Amino acid sequence: MRKTLHRYAVIYHLFLKNSLIYMMEYRVNFMFGVLVEIGFLAIKLSYVYVVFRIGTDLNGLSPHNILLFIGTFTIMAGLYSALFFFNFNRFPELIRSGDLDIYVTKPVSLQFFTTLRMIDISFAVPNVIGGIVMVVIGWQNSGISASIGHIAGFVLFIGIGVVLTYCIFLLPQLLAFWTVRTNGINDISNGLYDFNQMPMQIYHPYIQKAGTFLLPVFLTTNYSPMVALDRLGPVEWIWGIVSPILFLIIVRLLWKLALRNYTSASS
Amino acid sequence: MSIISVDQLSKQFAYYNKEVGLKSSIRNLFKRETLYKDAVKQVSFVVEEGEMVGFLGPNGAGKTTTLKMLSGILYPTAGKVSVMGYTPWERKKEFKRQFAIVMGQKNQLWWDLPANESFHLNKTIYEVEDGVFRKTVEELSELLDVTKLMNVQVRRLSLGERMKLELIAALLHKPKVIFLDEPTIGLDIISQKKIRDFFKYYNQQHKLTVILTSHYMNDIQDLCKRTIIINDGKVAYDGDLARVNDLLNQKKIVKIKLSDVVEEGVLLRYGDMKQYELTEAVLEIDRDEVKAILKQMLDDLPIIDFTIEDLPIEDGIAILYRKGEQP
Repeated sequence: MRKTLHRYAVIYHLFLKNSLIYMMEYRVNFMFGVLVEIGFLAIKLSYVYVVFRIGTDLNGLSPHNILLFIGTFTIMAGLYSALFFFNFNRFPELIRSGDLDIYVTKPVSLQFFTTLRMIDISFAVPNVIGGIVMVVIGWQNSGISASIGHIAGFVLFIGIGVVLTYCIFLLPQLLAFWTVRTNGINDISNGLYDFNQMPMQIYHPYIQKAGTFLLPVFLTTNYSPMVALDRLGPVEWIWGIVSPILFLIIVRLLWKLALRNYTSASS
Repeated sequence: MSIISVDQLSKQFAYYNKEVGLKSSIRNLFKRETLYKDAVKQVSFVVEEGEMVGFLGPNGAGKTTTLKMLSGILYPTAGKVSVMGYTPWERKKEFKRQFAIVMGQKNQLWWDLPANESFHLNKTIYEVEDGVFRKTVEELSELLDVTKLMNVQVRRLSLGERMKLELIAALLHKPKVIFLDEPTIGLDIISQKKIRDFFKYYNQQHKLTVILTSHYMNDIQDLCKRTIIINDGKVAYDGDLARVNDLLNQKKIVKIKLSDVVEEGVLLRYGDMKQYELTEAVLEIDRDEVKAILKQMLDDLPIIDFTIEDLPIEDGIAILYRKGEQP
């Protein structure tokens, strides 16, 4: 087990290295990627501006608390774009063109190989830096103590958020094994994810429940700030730990089922 | 000892028809009639260790689909396959470590990176030891004459150079079995020959078992004593290449271009007419008589250009069927 993990870590390191070499080869594209993301970051900041302009609390959350949520969402959006977006976007094309053929023959997990192969730092840099700045400002002005417990809890749920983001966005891609193209359903999952632009507390309780227990999009960005604000109850803690494991298992099982449907493409 | 055994292997694909035009697209949006195509029908054969077998057949005959099932890419509809004792579509890691597949129209090298970066990735994936890796890359790159290309971005290489590097990537882990699907497609004659020579040498040195599909008769002739002809998803012939080669080579195709119109009836005196367009014609002529007949034609007719070609594989197979016998 340890040997396998080490092997996969080395392969992932090579993915990262190759992706960096690729990015540096196309430096103009890299710069434009950064600029576009800075643009998106500016749009997110406009939400912050509105919140502070209104200046009132939302469901017990002060503007600085909300900044903490928006900052976390921004970090997560950066991580999603950097780690998964490019791979997931390309995935239906691998199926349509039959390029998946060669990957199937490699003695390494096909899911790992196809869904984590490319890493695009240009997307991550502005969002992660901007997000961290927002979180730090929101954290300090919300009067949260910088205790190890708070920081560890926050980071733990960022990690859990990354795992859940992987699962939630990969699930619709698996449909490509049957339908080949997945643009329609992708737009739905992207739309759902954008619910996280503001804290889940602003939505109707039914939507909160569905987004927490049915398709846990809210868990990806809400639980980190909620831990910091001491707003996470025992049920949410347990679900927060169990759900990524559960969804990883679901994704894995569906992956295996979907792969049986792979028909390749004509040569 | 047989390393590959295939028993009654079949594969059926589902598809649907789409007629021309927007109307049929709208109709298809609501209702699609599913049709089924039997790409491979009850194919059976056995390959011995170290053997090089040629898969021959026209486009859409089922060659590539068979190879994809042998390498575990596709699940079959029916039948049994054993490759080195493994059932390929179970996709066991141990099986994957011991075989490779090279497809002429698909890449495994990272397009925007030099090939050596992809080699390092393969080294880690297949857990090849450092010393073995270095020695293998050195040996293969020298044999294929690509040592200087290792640090060049793959997208900047020619098709032939790229294929040679693809072969190195596929052989890094020293597979026991390799499936080559049209490895020389699109390559010039010199590159084709270099790759054939390489495989001849590599097979002698490493006792590699090879199944090769190709459109080029020369590939099969140079490398394989035995050929399996697949037509319409079925094995049409399995045996010595020399015998089938005789049959395929009994006729030659002569294409002529004329400066003036010559009537079809006149041209029919020289051979069987395959195609006629006033100043252009394609004739099928017996191999032994080609030289004499062509000489006669050059004397009699206003020929401005001509070529002599082998019979297309499709036509050769038709001859096999016309003869109604297994050669």
